[in-house]
Order: sequence, then structure tokens, then C-alpha cells
Amino acid sequence: MNLIHRKQPAVWLKGLILTVLLILAGCQPAATPEPTPMPTPVGEETPMAEETPMAAERQGVLRVSAFAISQTDPAYISSDSEVLIANHVYDYLVDVDANNDIQPRLATEWTHSDDGLTYTFTLAEGVTFHDGSALTAQDVVYTFERLRDTEGLPTVDLYANITTIEATGDLEVTFTLSQTNPFFLYDLSDNHALIVKDGAAADGGDADAAGFNGTGPFVVTDYQPENRIVMEANTDYFVEGQPHLAGLEIIFFADQAASADALQGGQIDLTMDLSTVLYENLREVDGLTTYDIATNQFAAVRLRTDQAPGNDPRVIQALKLATDRQAIFDLVQQGYGAVGRDTPVGPIFDTYYTEDYALPERDVQAARNLLAEAGYANGLNMELNLLDTLNFPDLAVVLKEQWSEAGIEVEVVTLPESVFYGEGQWLEVNLGIVGWGHRAYPQFYMDVMLTCGAKWNATRFCDEELDRQIAIAGSSLDEQERVNAYHEIQRILIERGPLIVPYFFAEYAAISDQFEGFELKAFSGRTDFRTLGLAE
Amino acid sequence: MDKARDTLLEWGDWIWSGLRQLYACPASALGTTIFLLFLLLALFGPLIAPYEANQQIVEDARQPPSPKHWFGTDHLGRDVFSRVVLGARDVLSLAGLGTLAAVAAGTIIGLISGYQGGWLDEVIMRFFDSLLALPALLLALLLLGSLGGSRNSVLAVIVIVYAPIVARVVRSVVLSVKTKSFVEAARVQGEAFWYILLREIFPSTLPALAVEASLRFSYAIFLVASLGFLGIGVQPPSPDWGLMVKEGRANVTQTPWALYFPAGAIALVVIGVNLISDSLKQILQVPSQLERR
Repeated sequence: MNLIHRKQPAVWLKGLILTVLLILAGCQPAATPEPTPMPTPVGEETPMAEETPMAAERQGVLRVSAFAISQTDPAYISSDSEVLIANHVYDYLVDVDANNDIQPRLATEWTHSDDGLTYTFTLAEGVTFHDGSALTAQDVVYTFERLRDTEGLPTVDLYANITTIEATGDLEVTFTLSQTNPFFLYDLSDNHALIVKDGAAADGGDADAAGFNGTGPFVVTDYQPENRIVMEANTDYFVEGQPHLAGLEIIFFADQAASADALQGGQIDLTMDLSTVLYENLREVDGLTTYDIATNQFAAVRLRTDQAPGNDPRVIQALKLATDRQAIFDLVQQGYGAVGRDTPVGPIFDTYYTEDYALPERDVQAARNLLAEAGYANGLNMELNLLDTLNFPDLAVVLKEQWSEAGIEVEVVTLPESVFYGEGQWLEVNLGIVGWGHRAYPQFYMDVMLTCGAKWNATRFCDEELDRQIAIAGSSLDEQERVNAYHEIQRILIERGPLIVPYFFAEYAAISDQFEGFELKAFSGRTDFRTLGLAE
Repeated sequence: MDKARDTLLEWGDWIWSGLRQLYACPASALGTTIFLLFLLLALFGPLIAPYEANQQIVEDARQPPSPKHWFGTDHLGRDVFSRVVLGARDVLSLAGLGTLAAVAAGTIIGLISGYQGGWLDEVIMRFFDSLLALPALLLALLLLGSLGGSRNSVLAVIVIVYAPIVARVVRSVVLSVKTKSFVEAARVQGEAFWYILLREIFPSTLPALAVEASLRFSYAIFLVASLGFLGIGVQPPSPDWGLMVKEGRANVTQTPWALYFPAGAIALVVIGVNLISDSLKQILQVPSQLERR
């Protein structure tokens, strides 16, 4: 064969396409660190929703696209798709609805003591695990003991405030706290707090110990890693008439464009993994219903305050002054979501959120002056590190351009998720963009990313006054006091905080018109298919 | 001075006669024209492009092609025409430098390996075999995974991926030439190792090398674009064509022009260089003994 014609471009192209597919197959969704849920008055009892009995006529199989999962044990899950699957195989003690209100699930009712330190939950009757055994209070005790005792679990810190967990009856569980926590019910509804069977992980560490043996609305019949997970309705589910569907199939896709195509081609019925652009496209497709809702997911541009140049507060102020948040929002988000105000408290937090404190207007000259005062009269050169997925690269490109007008030159360095999160780069890099997942209440962000020495305080920012307000917000049982504290927190962060939060994301979904009863949640993995069914 | 002028004139003559031969048949004329056009863009891009590569015009974002923006604007309000024009320099220089380095390294290794023979030849060739067993792109991905994405690592990757191929071609020529009597004669005369390699053997490899180099160049353009497309080569916001295709693909329904123009540019340059490469082969009459084993 002749040298010149040995390699035809066509063959080469096929190789390229194959390799691209291979690489895409290795992609994972952006890690959205585990969320937790917005306060309602504690101890409120909500009656079970009455469902029309239709157990005998369950029909339809919903096919949903999701990124492939790596964890199946509820204690270790974190991504949207892992939570989505676990949420339908297992049940939470209490759940959070789309309005961020606490709803009963396995616990039908609960009370708390006057001092706010003891909570007693009553479990639903007649609940069985998929292996046929009955749910008892001991299973709940076991689940939460495991979540707070197993080293390395993200829930250990979350539940550090619990002193005892006791089965005070066959179907009654009592939690005792060491200090008041207005968000305790939301903590109990944490993504990981799905009830598993007593002793499910008897050896203590086996991540697959729970083995899909939940009490949830669907029973796993086939799990093919990297391919799909097939479930059928749990005919013994404890809520009368639920689920409405006969089956649920979660099909794993490597990228968002592929799932959008599959939806249009009729290979799947629902996708919740959509970029703004893909969502815009699907809105015009016949036979689909589309949803977009505001969330508190945000992109945080953060500079370390424990090393140059961020150890001079004027540098951070200069970055803030050089940033045009509205232009970023228009270009990168195309108007979906909300413009950020440099704090993790987004507009969806309602009374906790405030616009009373003005962000300084963009002022390139003022930014230059501040930099000069800080000793960077000739400009500043830095690396901007970020995840190579979602619209983070777009954000970086727009920022680079805006900042360069103020003499701040950044070199964009995009890193794959395995490096950025997997190797902890997001905590180490000097200047970076970090995505934060949705939480149903703002305290989570305060505790893990803003207090002095917090585990995920990547900026190493430490401010006494801020810490004091965070402590008040996280422990006061007086709603007005909490509101005031959150407003103070926002004032401090706008005034001297270490973050630029240019925008809050929206969450998107598109579902085939053949189904009805879909309700998208801000953390899409917590979306509930129990009341979703075939349209009439 | 005169000598320098003579050399310049000589080079001018050489280029001129080369161009005349390339323009002798329609296919290579087309290829040469395309390539020269892009070469002009690469050299004078900043004078031609109406906007800067990363200039974001917020109010003009997502505009279709128009007299104001010939190729439209992308999702961030950047002028696609300017980016394609300014990207030419990046792509051509990266692929060009990479190819030059790969050809230089491959030639030296191929000459030594082929002429020396024995265990050295055996070791080098088996090592190259193992490199060539991996598809070029996969090898590039593995290397970039460990080097990290940047201009220099892409350059290094081109060299590592293509030098073995060049070395094999050179070696096969050396093997056929080194038993020829003029090489024998040089050896008998007691000429130095390097003298024999460079003065006696190297000239015979030139025709094959020229064809191989032009071919490698077109593949290098492809490789640079592919790596950009996969997001592991040149980093944003560089107006790298592959990177533009990647960004354009994500936004294809809103701004299809931001995908088609850079993709078209890649295709056009590669076609142009391939046409040149084909006619080089005919002009230089690369002998058929170069068939790969």
C-alpha cells in the first residue's frame, strides 16, 4: 500500500469520532455537593396527602436520562443522578417539597419539646422493605447512627449536634440535640438520610451494603452500571395509590446534548440535565413540556485571602469593581436564573434575602486605582482555575475580558472534574471559580464555606463579626432574629467578603406530553416521581 | 554582501520554480492557493480582522452573518470572522512548528537507526512500534493528560506522535540507500559517520521527507483542532478553530454559524495541504520502494 494513501481522512475521522465518544463516556456531571433544605415552624404536622386509589391500574414506564452513577449506597451518594435513583428506592424520614416546605414521608407526624432539644417522630404503619421485612424504629436509629458515626461521611459534621437517637417505641424515634437548631428537620431531610435496613452495612464500610433494599416506591430489577437501571413499581408501597407509574428506567447518558437528542427522538421521556442553550431549543419542540425554576445554585469566583495578592483586601475590591454582573448574566445565562450579589444568599430565600445593601457600580478606573494602591500599578497577572464543564468556561472568558480592562490579566485554566474536585484543586488554587449546588436553606453555605477554618472555606476568609452573625442565624429559634442575622451577613459580604457571585443558575427540565404530574425541584435529584403518571 | 544576495536570489528562484510546478496542474494549484490564502491570514490577521479575537459586544451577541459581522457573532458576542482570521496564526504556527520539530527529530533518529542497524535499530523500532500501535489521538490524549493542556504541551505532543512515523519513512529510505556503491565508497574512503549520514544518505531521503512533512503538517492541523475540540489542548478564550467548533457545537441551534465557519476553515486548510502533498509526491517522484512494510 502506498505511503501517501495509507491513512484516508475518512478512517481518521471515524477514529476521531470513536475516541470522542469514548472520552465523553468518561465524563461525569459537575459535582454538586450535597444539599440540605428552608425553615417552616418546627413541629408542624401535615396530614398524609390523600391519593386516589389506583394501585391496580399502574401504567406507563418513565424513561429518564441521567449521568452514570458511581455510588448506590445512600450514605455515599452525591450527584443528582445518584440522589434521583436512591430517592425512588429508599424513603426519607421527612421530605422537602418544591416550595421548600417540610413534608412527612416515613414519619407521619412529629413533636418537639418546648426547649427545642427533643424531637419525637412517629413512623407510618405497614411499611416494608423490598426484601419483605417490616420497617421498625430500629432501622431509623441504625440509619442515623451510621450517618453520624462513619468516618468520612459528609453527614458526620451535619449531625454532630445530635446527642442521642433512640427507638422509644416500635414505630417511634426520639432525637436529642445538644443545642437548638431551627433547621433540624431540614438536616434530617439531607440527601443522604434515606432509611436503610438495620445492620445493612454490618461490616461498617461496604459502600454497596444497602443493596437497593429500601422501602421506596420502586424496586430495582436490573442495574447495569454505565448503562441503565430498571425499576418496577413497589406494589406494597405504604402510600395508597403510589406510585402511579408501573415502572421507572434511568438511562445513563454521557452528555447533555445526547440526552436532549434522545428526548426528541423518543428514546427517553424526561431529561433534567440541560444547559440553557439546549433548554432554549427544546422549548420549541412539539410534544414536550418544559420547566425552568430558580434555584440557589451559583458560581462563586473566589480568591484566597491567605496569600498574595488576595491578602490585600483592596485587590478583591478591585476584582469586584471590574466585574459587570449584569453583562455576565445576559451573556452566559441568557436571562435565566438571577443576577448575584456576591453572597450565597439568593433571591429564592425570600425574607432571608435582601437588596438593601447596594453593590458598588462597575468602575474600571476605581479598580485600577485600588490595584495601584495595593502595589499592582502595572497590573496583575493570575491563573483562573475552573471546571471544564457547564458554562464555567464561558464565565471565565467573559471575566477575563472584563477584568483585562482594569489591567487584571488572567490565564484561563480549565480542569476536568476528576482533578478539580477529585484532587481537591478547587480548595488549593489561588484564584478559581467554584460551583455550589442548591440547598433549601442558606445556613449550609455559611457553615461550610464562610466561617473561620470551615472545611470548605477555600478563600481562608475569617471575619469575627461575620462568624458571630452566622452563629446567630444557625441557632436562633426566633425567625426575625435569623432574618436580621442573614441581612447582616449579606452586608458584610458585599462590603468586604471574599467572593464574587455573578449569578444564580436556573434548573431546567423537559418531559414528554404523555406524562402528567411532574414537578421539578431545585435540586433535580430530589424530584419525586411518586405522583407522576401517564396523562389521560 | 554579494554572496548573501546571490543566496537570496537562489532561494527566490527555487521558490518560484517550486510554485510554478505546483501551479502546473489544477488540483495542486487549488491547494496552493488555499494554503497561501491562509498563510496570508496567519501573517496579516490583525490587519484584516475588524475586531479583536476576544472582544465581547454584549448587544450584538448571537447575531447571524451580516455586513457588520460577516460570519455572525457567537453566544458571547464575539465576531466569528475575526476569530477565524486570528485563529489561523495559532493553528498554522502550532501545527507548523510541531511538524518541523517532529520531522527534524524523526529524520535524525531514522538516519541513525537505519544506518547503524543492529540492536540499536531493533530497540528504537520496537519502541516506535509500540507508540504507533496506539491511535495518534489516543496517544495525544494520554500525553496531554499527564502534561496538562497548554500550547507547549500540544507542541510536544505533535512531536512525540509524529516523529516515529517520520523516522520510519526515513529509515526505510536509508535501508535502501546504504548498500549503494556511493555509500560504500565513502565508507571505504574513511569518511566520518556524520559525514556519510548527512552528505551521502540524507539527500536521498529529501523527496520522501518533503512529501511526508506536508502530510504530517495536514494531520498536525487536524490533531491541533481535535485536541482543541476535546478541550484538552489550547485553552479558552484562544481563537483556536477546534476550540471554536467545541463552543459552537454546544450552541449549534442558536448560533450555527459559530460552528460552521471554523469547521469549514479546518476542512479547507487540510484539503489544501493534502492537495499540495499529493502533487509534491508526483513532482518529486517519490519512488515506490517507499511502500510501508
